[in-house]
Amino acid sequence: MKSIYLGLVLFTTLLVAAGCTKKEGDGTAAGQTAVATSSSAKLSNNELKIGISQEFENFNPLIASMSATTYMQHMVSRTLSTIDADGKWVPRLAKKIPNLADGSAKIVDKGGKKKLVAVWEILDNASWGDGNPVICEDFALAVKIAGAPTVSVGEKEVYTQVESIIADPKNPKKCTFTYEKAKWDFYQLGTFYPMPKHLEEAVFKKYGSQKEGYEKNSLYSKDPTNPGLYNGPYVMTEIQLGDHVTFAPNPKFYGDQPKIKKIIVKLIPNTGTLEANLRSGTIDIISSLGLALDQALAFDKKIKSENLNYKVLFQPSAVYEHIDLNLDNPALKDVRVRKALNYSINREELVNSLFEGKQNPAIHSITPKDPWFTDDPAKVTIYKYSSREAERLLDEAGWKMGADGVRMKDGKKLTFTLMTTAGNKTRELVQVYLQNKWKQVGIEVVSKNEPARVFFGETTKKRNFDSMALFAWVSSPENSPKSQFTIKNIPTAKNGWSGQNYMGWANSKVDDILNKMDTEFKPETRIAMIHEVLKYYTDEVPVLPLYYRSDVAVIPNQLKGYRLTGHQFPETDEIEKWTVE
Amino acid sequence: MLTFILRRFFQTIVVIVILSYVCFGLMNLMPGDPVELMISANPRITQEDVTRLREFYGLDQPVYKRYFAWVSDISTGDLGYSRTYRIPVTEMMLPALLATFILSMASLIFSLIVAIPLGILCALKPNSKVDYAVNLFSFAGISVPSFWLGIVLIIIFAVNLGWLPAGGYQTTGMQYSSWFAEMMDKGKYLILPMVSLSIQSIGRFSRFTRSAMLEAMRNDFIRTAKAKGLSNQVVIWKHGFRNALIPLITIIAISFSSIFSGALITETLFAYPGVGRLIYSSIIGNDFNVAMVSFVISVSMVLLMSLVSDILYGVVDPRISYK
Repeated sequence: MKSIYLGLVLFTTLLVAAGCTKKEGDGTAAGQTAVATSSSAKLSNNELKIGISQEFENFNPLIASMSATTYMQHMVSRTLSTIDADGKWVPRLAKKIPNLADGSAKIVDKGGKKKLVAVWEILDNASWGDGNPVICEDFALAVKIAGAPTVSVGEKEVYTQVESIIADPKNPKKCTFTYEKAKWDFYQLGTFYPMPKHLEEAVFKKYGSQKEGYEKNSLYSKDPTNPGLYNGPYVMTEIQLGDHVTFAPNPKFYGDQPKIKKIIVKLIPNTGTLEANLRSGTIDIISSLGLALDQALAFDKKIKSENLNYKVLFQPSAVYEHIDLNLDNPALKDVRVRKALNYSINREELVNSLFEGKQNPAIHSITPKDPWFTDDPAKVTIYKYSSREAERLLDEAGWKMGADGVRMKDGKKLTFTLMTTAGNKTRELVQVYLQNKWKQVGIEVVSKNEPARVFFGETTKKRNFDSMALFAWVSSPENSPKSQFTIKNIPTAKNGWSGQNYMGWANSKVDDILNKMDTEFKPETRIAMIHEVLKYYTDEVPVLPLYYRSDVAVIPNQLKGYRLTGHQFPETDEIEKWTVE
Repeated sequence: MLTFILRRFFQTIVVIVILSYVCFGLMNLMPGDPVELMISANPRITQEDVTRLREFYGLDQPVYKRYFAWVSDISTGDLGYSRTYRIPVTEMMLPALLATFILSMASLIFSLIVAIPLGILCALKPNSKVDYAVNLFSFAGISVPSFWLGIVLIIIFAVNLGWLPAGGYQTTGMQYSSWFAEMMDKGKYLILPMVSLSIQSIGRFSRFTRSAMLEAMRNDFIRTAKAKGLSNQVVIWKHGFRNALIPLITIIAISFSSIFSGALITETLFAYPGVGRLIYSSIIGNDFNVAMVSFVISVSMVLLMSLVSDILYGVVDPRISYK
């Protein structure tokens, strides 16, 4: 038996050894110890470990769709333009954003169709990590690959809206883009990534005709650490799916060289252990893809009470938490009932009591960071909490208070079902808060929660919610709300449940404005148009706005230059500015 | 015996085929698909994109057609392409399977090394203080939820004492000067998840060992062996323990069958890149190829280990024959 036991111990040792490979990182961590009791104490520009809680995928920018991949992509790849931390469109790989005013963009008539032609000039020193310059042909290749029916690109329109890209014969960096439609938002190419022609064209030529052939054989899959694939401030040096990705500065980067010499993004899928990983030194910061708001609030308190060397950042984001009302519900067809529901919500109290004021109350679907935002009472209807006004509206609508405290009309109780995603602690708290508020004015609301997959995959998609659906829309600045507001986008069996107008809101005037807005090039006119839409939105109350969510991150006090953005282009978009002091 | 093994092997194949179709069908019953996930990550995806992608992935085809397409790919050795991670399934599964195998085997072996002597000790001294103490530990181990135990271990050993890393597989970006240094580094990351996984198994195995050994030690042949003047060691190990092995083999074989299935909670808590997490995310993300390959591996392991335990019964007890 002794020999059996010895054998077992030996086997266990061999097992661990079996997991050892000859693969080595190429950073500067030789000799480092795995365990540290306080990371921030020895934090330096030599290395920074970022914790994320979401899975990431292959880095091919045409194909990747996960938020965590997008987060890291901004470290290694740049686009022609982007939205900065202040919410403004700014050039990145381009010298400037073309516009109609100076003639760098113009509307032309081609075969009776109005098209837009814009000249994008790429920065002279913009190059790939292997030293090859970024040229117009890299963008043309991206359009070609993305347009292929054998390649599964998510947001294809970003690429296919560009009909052609022609390089200036004398300057391969001066590109004339012809857009299929003359739309004002042509310059919003934040997700239009160039593809390194000198590397990827051969792969596409060889495998592009096979279904998924390009994806499987792209260098982003086969040789992801090839520096020639990246043009951002960093290049990838190691990737282990499901665990971590390591980055090193790109010496060929067109901008200022990044200060931090090595960045490791580590996946810690359980948000409950992110704090422990931070405090034990496994990671140095928790990114915006980490903690939930309640966890961040709890950690913020600990930082203050235990005097820890971290700070929690809260940044209002473009995520709009709201309740879609099903306008087919007989009681909700009456706008007075919808307004009464809106008047009964004390949003200030809600955000202060549940979120300690770290999230802002919402008044409509456009978030405060968006240039289109307005809170001018002359332009949108503001519903300030007033239970008295809510009661008046309900009385007027014929809903009289019953003996049990619930209003009645024609023998029917004023009862609604509020549905949301099960297991979301914050939303469940909001549900309880709202139920109490509505109960005070005689509206009975029962909760019915479902797993996110069922809720989004069936219930909202097919408008199977009886009256109310609580969830969030992720938006971006200056994003037309057509898919959520227009009649065409009311999901029905006939249109294959397409569209996101889950309320069933039908206002032909809104449709007209939004359709005209597509081709309106004057920013001030566009703003006036969207304000007109918001006026209808707030007057007719197809949706109950609740609050705008905040992005949260935890960073050590020594880290400077780190700014949360609050929109779809994450903080890594300016990672070269980060430094440890 | 060969006929028995062949017959069981054939049955195993049939069961795998039937179960894989059932599993494929069940996954299709879940609302949503990978395209829905893409929409949630990108607000600008249009309805045209959704229709095109569904068609591209074959999600617009009936279940049986998609199943047969998957089977025909598998039969040619192509395990497919992960919709979620955008790489071939084999490239993704193999490192995860290896990581899980190491964790599960280390945990199983550690559990057996600790649990079997404890169980035997309790059986030899029933109702003693040692027996009560081990029983208490065993029941506590079985009862403690693994997510709670994992967090407690992290707080004590990673946050407060700072002796062990809170999670991961290896020190990220570390350069290893030797094979031994790499083993030591990875071993350090293995300790907490292994202990977290083992505590429950130790409790279960020691209880089984105790009851099996108690039963065996009550037999007449043990009394005869003692009467023959055989040493205690011989009586316990050669006569008692060998007869207690049959029920133990069953439970150990079942435990073996899960060494490639992963331990979802432990892997998630300790950010360990194993197959459990991979299976979970593939099912949630409707990543059919990954989920189905994982499923086939899990089912095959259960059926295979069931066959192995049946064969082992005959090895430890010659009275058992195969027909």
